[in-house]
Amino acid sequence: MRNVAIVGAGITKFGVREAGWKDLVQEAGKAVFDDVPNLDKKEIDSLIVGAAQPERWINQTHVAPLVAELLGIEVKRVISRTEVACASGQAAIRYAWLAVAMGLSDVAMVVGVEKMNTRFMNFSQSSMINVGNREFDGANGFTAPPFFALVAQRHMHDFGTTREQLAMVRVKNAEYGSYNPYAQFQKKVTVEKVIESRMVAPPLTLFDCSAITDGACALILASEEKAKQLTDTPVWIVGGVQHVDYAHTTNQMGDLSHWVGLRKAAKDLYEMLNIKPDDIDIAEVHDCFTISEILEYEELGFCKKGEGGKFIEEGQSYIGGKVAVNPGGGLLSNGHPLGATGVRQAWEIVMQFRGEVPKERYVGGAELGIAHNLSGMAQLHHIMAYSLKKRSDVKFGR
Amino acid sequence: MARRVLELPDTVPLSPIIDLWDQQEPDGPDATGIYDFYRNLADGELTGQKCLSCGKLIFPPQIICPSCNSTELEWVKIPEEGELYAFTELKLGAPIIVENYAPFVIAVARFGNYPENGFQISGMMFDESYEELKIGDRITWDILEIKGPGDKKRYWYYFRKL
Repeated sequence: MRNVAIVGAGITKFGVREAGWKDLVQEAGKAVFDDVPNLDKKEIDSLIVGAAQPERWINQTHVAPLVAELLGIEVKRVISRTEVACASGQAAIRYAWLAVAMGLSDVAMVVGVEKMNTRFMNFSQSSMINVGNREFDGANGFTAPPFFALVAQRHMHDFGTTREQLAMVRVKNAEYGSYNPYAQFQKKVTVEKVIESRMVAPPLTLFDCSAITDGACALILASEEKAKQLTDTPVWIVGGVQHVDYAHTTNQMGDLSHWVGLRKAAKDLYEMLNIKPDDIDIAEVHDCFTISEILEYEELGFCKKGEGGKFIEEGQSYIGGKVAVNPGGGLLSNGHPLGATGVRQAWEIVMQFRGEVPKERYVGGAELGIAHNLSGMAQLHHIMAYSLKKRSDVKFGR
Repeated sequence: MARRVLELPDTVPLSPIIDLWDQQEPDGPDATGIYDFYRNLADGELTGQKCLSCGKLIFPPQIICPSCNSTELEWVKIPEEGELYAFTELKLGAPIIVENYAPFVIAVARFGNYPENGFQISGMMFDESYEELKIGDRITWDILEIKGPGDKKRYWYYFRKL
C-alpha cells in the first residue's frame, strides 16, 4: 500500500443555511481549492461524494457526477457516492484513501454534504426512521432520539451514570464549539441549562441531541509523491477499520448499554497500528447524543466499561486531560449534516495538526488523532486514524 | 396566445415514503416473502421463526436462515408475557403519519430467555405514560389494526403493561 496524505481541507458554515445542496457543494469545493493553491484541478483524477439521503431531502440521485460538474472536475479513475447513513462522509474518505493507496488514483477529492433543513421538517424527521429497519423498528417510531434515549436509560440503570454526567458532555463540547466559527452552535451552556431544555425523549432533552444541519466539507487526498508537490503540511491517513456485529434490528442488538461493534473495531485498529488508547492525542468521536460520547470513552478503551460518566465528570476528556475528545465541539456543537460529519471530523484533525484553530481549543503537540463515526442506531462503527507522521515514522506503542 | 397552464391535482394519494406499513403486500410486484407474518397478526398472533435446520430463533422474519442458509423455517408464537427492557416517550419529532398519536412510549421488550432462547423486540405503548413504567415491568403484546387510507386494513402490534 502507498502512503496517502490529506493535502487540503475546506468547510462551509454548518447550521440552518439559506443555501441549497448544490450551493453547499460549491462552497466546500471553493474552500478546499483555496486551501491548496498549488493544485491544478486537472490533477484530480477521482471523486468520492459522501451523502446520506439526497434522494429524500433534495429529490436527487446520481449525485457524484453532479458534484463533478459543479466543481469542474474531469474524473478519469474512480467516482462514486457513498452511503452508510450518518457515516457516509467517513466512507467517502475511506474509498478515496483505498484508491490512492492502491495506485489507481494519484489525487482524489472527497466531498461530504447534506442538506437537511427544508420547509417540510416533519418529512425530514420521518426520513430518519429509514436508517434502522424500517419495516420492524421504523414502524414503531424508532428515530434516532428515542433509540439513544433507550441506550441512556440502560446505561444509567446498568452502570449508575447520572443525568448530570450526560449534560457534562454537552457542556464540554459547547465550550469548544464556542471557539469554532463554523459550528452551528457557538454558545457555552451549563449543566442546568442542558437538563432544563425541552424534553425530546426522556432522559434526553434538546441539548443532549445533535441538530438537523446543513453543511458540506471537502478534502484533497494525494499520493506521497504528489503530496510533496502540493503541501508542506501533509496529514497522513495511517489506518481505518469498520465493524458491524450482524446487527441492524433490535433483536440482534443485545444489551443496549454495550457497543460490542465499537469495542471490536477499536481493538482491530489498535492491533493494526500497534498502539494503545493512551497513544491517541485527539479523538473526534460521534457524539450524536451526549450518551454516545460516554459509551465511546468506554468502548474505545479510554476508561473502564461503565466508567464513562466518571470520565467526563473528572474532566479527563478535556484538552489537557487523558485524551482531548471533540476539541472542535463535536456533532453537538457543529450539528450533524449526515454526509458531511465524517469529513468534518477529518477537517478538524487536519486543522489541529496544522495549528490553524483558535488557541482555546488547540491540542498542542498532537501527532495521532482518530475519528470515530457511527451510523444508524449504533449498529455500524467506523474509525480512521490520522497522523502528522507517516505510519512507518511514528513510534507507536510507546 | 394565452399562457399554457399545467394544472396539478390538489392532493396526491398517501405516499409510500411516509407510510410506515408500506411493505405489507401479499402479492403483485410489492409482494413480501414474509407475508405470513402479517397473516398471523390478522389471526391474532405475533410470531417469530425457528430454523428447523439449526434451531436458531429468528426475528424479524426472513425467508432464509441467516445462520445456516436453510429455507426450512417454522412460525413460532412470541410468548405472551415479556419483560420491559428499556423505554422512552417520543415527545418531539414523531414520524408524520403517527404525529397525531404522539407523545407515545417506545419500548424494547424481551420475551423468553433472550438472547439464548428468546426475542428482543421494539414496540409502541399507548396506554401508559413514561412516568408509569419501570424497567422490569411485565408486559404483553396485542394486535393493532392499521385502518386507512380509504378501506385499506392492515395489522401491526403494540405493547401494554400487564
